[in-house]
Amino acid sequence: MNPNPAPAPDDQPDIFTAYGSNAFRLPLRQWGWVLAFAIVFVVLTPWLWPRLEKLEPAADFRMNYDLSNDYWLYERAAKMAAERCDTMLIGDSVVWGQYVKRDQTLSHYLNELAGRERVANLGLDGAHPVALAGLIEYYAAAVANKNAILFCNPLWMSSPQRDLQTAEEFRFNHAKLVPQFSPWIPCYKENVAARLGNVVDRNFAFNGWTGHLQTVYFDKSDIPGWTLEHPYASPLSAVTLELPKDADTLRHDPVPWTTHGAQKQDFAFVPLETSLQWRAFQRAIEILKARGNRIAVVIVPLNEHMMTEPSRLACAKNRADIDTALRAQKIECFAAPILPSEMYADTSHPLSDGYRLQAKQIVEKQILSDAK
Amino acid sequence: MLFHTWIFLIFFLIVYPVYLLVRTRNGLMNLWLMLASYVFYGWWNPYYLGLLFGTSAIDYAMVLLMDRSKIQRTRKLWLVISLVSNFGFLGFFKYSGFMTENANWILEHLGTALRFPDPVAYPNAMLTLFGVAREDLFAKVVLPIGISFHTFQSMSYTIDAYKGTIQTERSFVRFLTFVSFFPQLVAGPIERAKNLLPQLQGTPQITESDLGDGLSLFLVGFFKKVALADYLAIYVDKVYAAPGQFRSPALIMATFAFAWQIYFDFSGYTDMARGIARTMGFHLMLNFNNPYVATGLGDFWNRWHISLSTWFKDYVYVPLGGSRNGTFATYRNIFLTMAISGLWHGAAWTFVIWGVLHALGRVATWELERSEFYKNNIPKFVKQIAVFLFVCLAWVFFRAPSVGDAWLVISRIFTSGYADPQCPILMLSLIAAVWAYQLFYSGRSRTKWLLEKPAFNVGVAMLMVAYLFVVAQPSTKAFIYFQF
Repeated sequence: MNPNPAPAPDDQPDIFTAYGSNAFRLPLRQWGWVLAFAIVFVVLTPWLWPRLEKLEPAADFRMNYDLSNDYWLYERAAKMAAERCDTMLIGDSVVWGQYVKRDQTLSHYLNELAGRERVANLGLDGAHPVALAGLIEYYAAAVANKNAILFCNPLWMSSPQRDLQTAEEFRFNHAKLVPQFSPWIPCYKENVAARLGNVVDRNFAFNGWTGHLQTVYFDKSDIPGWTLEHPYASPLSAVTLELPKDADTLRHDPVPWTTHGAQKQDFAFVPLETSLQWRAFQRAIEILKARGNRIAVVIVPLNEHMMTEPSRLACAKNRADIDTALRAQKIECFAAPILPSEMYADTSHPLSDGYRLQAKQIVEKQILSDAK
Repeated sequence: MLFHTWIFLIFFLIVYPVYLLVRTRNGLMNLWLMLASYVFYGWWNPYYLGLLFGTSAIDYAMVLLMDRSKIQRTRKLWLVISLVSNFGFLGFFKYSGFMTENANWILEHLGTALRFPDPVAYPNAMLTLFGVAREDLFAKVVLPIGISFHTFQSMSYTIDAYKGTIQTERSFVRFLTFVSFFPQLVAGPIERAKNLLPQLQGTPQITESDLGDGLSLFLVGFFKKVALADYLAIYVDKVYAAPGQFRSPALIMATFAFAWQIYFDFSGYTDMARGIARTMGFHLMLNFNNPYVATGLGDFWNRWHISLSTWFKDYVYVPLGGSRNGTFATYRNIFLTMAISGLWHGAAWTFVIWGVLHALGRVATWELERSEFYKNNIPKFVKQIAVFLFVCLAWVFFRAPSVGDAWLVISRIFTSGYADPQCPILMLSLIAAVWAYQLFYSGRSRTKWLLEKPAFNVGVAMLMVAYLFVVAQPSTKAFIYFQF
């Protein structure tokens, strides 16, 4: 406080008129220069960056698992895929290949059967349909006019929680991709400011680029947080301009589900007409259709061997309902047959042999056939 | 609603164009600003709009009654009612928990079975009388954001009106706008009626210079908050969360970092507040003026939270007698004023000790700072460093969650020995850059001309923008002073 203050120093201002500690001030005209710089910086940086940091095409390319939340990189991967292939496989970790190496994925076997690289793996781990629709809308514009095989995984409708319908908060994957305001997702409890931030992030490439920097070079942390862990390192030295190599190591033991001693489980499938995930899946189809994509849907065969009988019946009904709904919309659809038990690693992920068999089935079914 | 969030941007993009349209019609302008301010405040907790409105309405009414009364005793009665209501609300929401806790501690040590109930029991008892169901009662007393700021602003109006130094405001809406004006509602500057009310009575002129200066203030404030304060906070929080696990260097660095964190946080807020108001044609008072280049504690308080310092000077120190009644009374008045100001900051012993430390420091250096020897013989930078070190020592009590933790920090600073503090170089570089900027700009620095070059300032603005875009993260961290 200021009782009977000391004599004012030279720079003591009149408190009602002074600018004080903020000596820094720019006239409006100079603000024009700053604004121009900001616009150029924001527009040019994400445009120039891919020229400095190369995304090398590799055989059986798929997103580096550790970079699954780097949607800006996904966008680049989608662009690269569109330049090299005519058919995109779009879906979650079933497409990505959770239990297999790159050369054991569905896209690999489809390419093997085709005798050339025509199918790209655009699977993203954890991309449930509500997130997948956002991924396609904001980050997959580059695949417009291509053949797109969408994978509909009923697992995401196999409980109210997976369908994001529970009233209590539930932390799910890829929350930044889901609709932030409408339709309302009951279990998504983020505050309004953060939701607005997510909307801004996915509409401005620059924000995606900064997210990319954090994911790739700063241990998925913001830069201030990173410096706390690396107090004497320069953040600039961390930006090596080299994307981390996908080690292509197995994330899990590629063994059948039965070897874990897993028991049969109950699943409470959500009716299609009330499912948030199903509504989002249809939105994904609409977006692709509007972009001129030729679409087919593969209904992922869940591992019914590990379901109790009532659940198995509910699952079969769910698959049948999806098939009927898609056919009614004149969407080419393939309800892939249930694989033999030993070809599953868990509820939905096939092992290598499962993918090989599915690839054969897809080719035999002649999905998007005149594109071959 | 925080200035540095998208919500506020949307809010302002709605409020500002309408404000530009209505500002030439004073009644409409005040109504619009009042509504906007109530939305801004209600965003946190709409229930407390009633408190904001209630205290404002009482003060407005009391001043009208004062105005109509010719008898001094009656005028005093209206003033007392106003002060009692303001201090009553402030006391209940901010201090009742603290007072109950301490009273119960004393009762317990006196061996009595008597205990005061949790303060929330009082409103709940009243609600029960009105038949409110048990499950609908309050669970605890929640401190309304910025209550100390808006009650002090409102009180200054009633006290000034009582003293006859300002004119009575007849328009209720304008008075509500004065108390709730959103740029400075929740964390100041605590405006005086004589500064803000006349601006609300006319048509604010918005010049090109206002827009440029407003944007400059906002950018600097935004940078201080998001790029600096929130960055420093992650190191400070880490160390102060478990001071027993850190050695002397880390505790020293964290304390220095907190000194800068609170400065950037609070002055960043007021810069943004002043910047927003400036783009609307309003001039809010200066609240900070390079406090860490102060050469004495008196000088420090001339530079830190100026609107509160001057409030306490005008409404506590001077009424107590100021320096008019001899040395002892002066020291007593200084001590009381500083100690009360400590309690203003929060209902905890840590804040009381912080205030008392400053009070003791101020009393101890009172004569020294006025002496010719101190002014002429001690190098400026020595005085600046001494003041900064003392202020940092006091900040330990301000930041620590308890008195025990504060003692732990101080004792370990002197006894725990050396270990790598792991303090980020980038963080230190940013602080050094800001300190250098302040040093070079203050007084009669020879380098000041460079800092005033347009090219230099444009370059600094570009660097700040680039840093904010790339390094700083979208933040929803509240300002430290909101809790007061």
